[in-house]
Amino acid sequence: MSRRRRFSASDRSEYLQALVTEFQDTDSEEAREQVLANLANFSYDPRNVEDLKRLQVTELFLDMLTEESDNLVEFGIGGLCNLSADRDCCDQIVQSGGVELVTGCLSSRREETVLSAIGTLMNLAVTDTRPLASCDAVLQCMLRFSLSRSPRLRNLAIVFLMDCCTQEQVEQAKQQLQGHTQTALGIPLPEASDSGS
Amino acid sequence: MDGAGASSVWSTPEVQKHHEQQSVCHTRPTYREGRRPKAVKVYTINLESRYLMVQGVPAIGVMSELVQLFALYGVIEEYRVLDEYPAEQFTEVYLIRLQKIQSARAAKRNLDERSFFGGLLHVCYAPEYETVEDTREKLLDRRRYVAWSLHNKEATMGQTALETQKSIEACVEGDRSDFSSFRYPLLPPPPQERFPPYSEQTLVKFTAGEDNMGSKYHFMDSSEQPPPFTVQKPSYHENTLRRGALPAARFIPRTTHLENRKRKAEEASKTLFSGIGGKCETLIGPKLPEPPKLDMEDNSLNITAGLIRNTMKKISSVPEHKSTEKKSAEKPRRRI
Repeated sequence: MSRRRRFSASDRSEYLQALVTEFQDTDSEEAREQVLANLANFSYDPRNVEDLKRLQVTELFLDMLTEESDNLVEFGIGGLCNLSADRDCCDQIVQSGGVELVTGCLSSRREETVLSAIGTLMNLAVTDTRPLASCDAVLQCMLRFSLSRSPRLRNLAIVFLMDCCTQEQVEQAKQQLQGHTQTALGIPLPEASDSGS
Repeated sequence: MDGAGASSVWSTPEVQKHHEQQSVCHTRPTYREGRRPKAVKVYTINLESRYLMVQGVPAIGVMSELVQLFALYGVIEEYRVLDEYPAEQFTEVYLIRLQKIQSARAAKRNLDERSFFGGLLHVCYAPEYETVEDTREKLLDRRRYVAWSLHNKEATMGQTALETQKSIEACVEGDRSDFSSFRYPLLPPPPQERFPPYSEQTLVKFTAGEDNMGSKYHFMDSSEQPPPFTVQKPSYHENTLRRGALPAARFIPRTTHLENRKRKAEEASKTLFSGIGGKCETLIGPKLPEPPKLDMEDNSLNITAGLIRNTMKKISSVPEHKSTEKKSAEKPRRRI
């Protein structure tokens, strides 16, 4: 991060282009993971957003959500969580039908993936796409997460319920949850994060 | 919901996956190799936090040194030892809450893997200690910052501190749901309103020059007025004394150590260097808490407790005497 200033805008753009090209060309699973992690981390800095949009990295991240490798999914949704702070990226996700893919990550076994998915949905919900991002299934999921043992998951879910939907929606979801307890219980919680080994 | 969390989160340490140091990746081609070896990992705002966990601190009573080191990167609001957190032998784990997430970011980057009194520090974010309100603020700040930087690409950085301050106020009062309308140059507005002047006096002012973070919002950060309650800068000496007023429970693991130190100082002063020994003692850490006078409400129990205490004292003092005798021959090192 400290060397950011040494690169001009065109250097930056070329470098990102090189990353995307390597990601598409390489056959090595390891290299794919590394480059994907690079791109996801670059998405954090708003300065890269323009270039990443031009390179259609949003699509690239969305593609990763259907991969079998847990790592690729985690890095992909992490990248979306970072990039979706930008409004255009949110639009892109919605246009590509990516909301379902993101929602699907809520049932991941990895806590980090679930957290990134919630983060992405929050970013979606504060733009115009609120109805899509805060549908009943998502809200029920958040209600469940808000009772989780993991403080990070719990906090994030509570913030979602506070900021990203209306009180009526929450009430409605609560009632539905009470009506059909079993459907909501079907959603697995992410594995406990305290794996000391 | 969040109010109750504040006290409980500070008391339930658990080993989380993101606390562990991941193995460094050595298989990157040169064009993707950074200056520092790094693991393959994606950071999101969820993983960042102004709470830092510091592992691998040698258990030799260097709390004030550690806190001073971290205070180089920003205002510290609170810190404590995580006694219950599983630590390696002879090391301690600390939890440090900085005022701003940028400070935490800079501290983590610069102090992770730093050697410190013979140990190697491992610094990681500890977002699980956040309250709901912490998390909420963090996310809001991130969104505001992104919205701001996207809409002010060509904004110059030459704003005066006053303008910065004004725009912060504007954003705090503004409607939070519409981020596109924000026009101000700072990531997190200082959370002053949430932190009334601390009675605990754990604040340490940002004294040294700023780090070379090179990020935009850090630059803005440095132009900002320090929040009013940190203006009075406690000197090191005051600071250590004040810390003695903190709840004694925090220092329990160090009492034996402090006792030993005191004894050493006394030894030294007895033999040759009475002046130095005396000085040393005042310099170091919090005052030793009075030995607890427990009344077991039963005479025989009191006698037994007294016996046990005396025995413990004898046992713990024997090896210590030996080492100090050896040392007393040469000039004791002066602590600075």
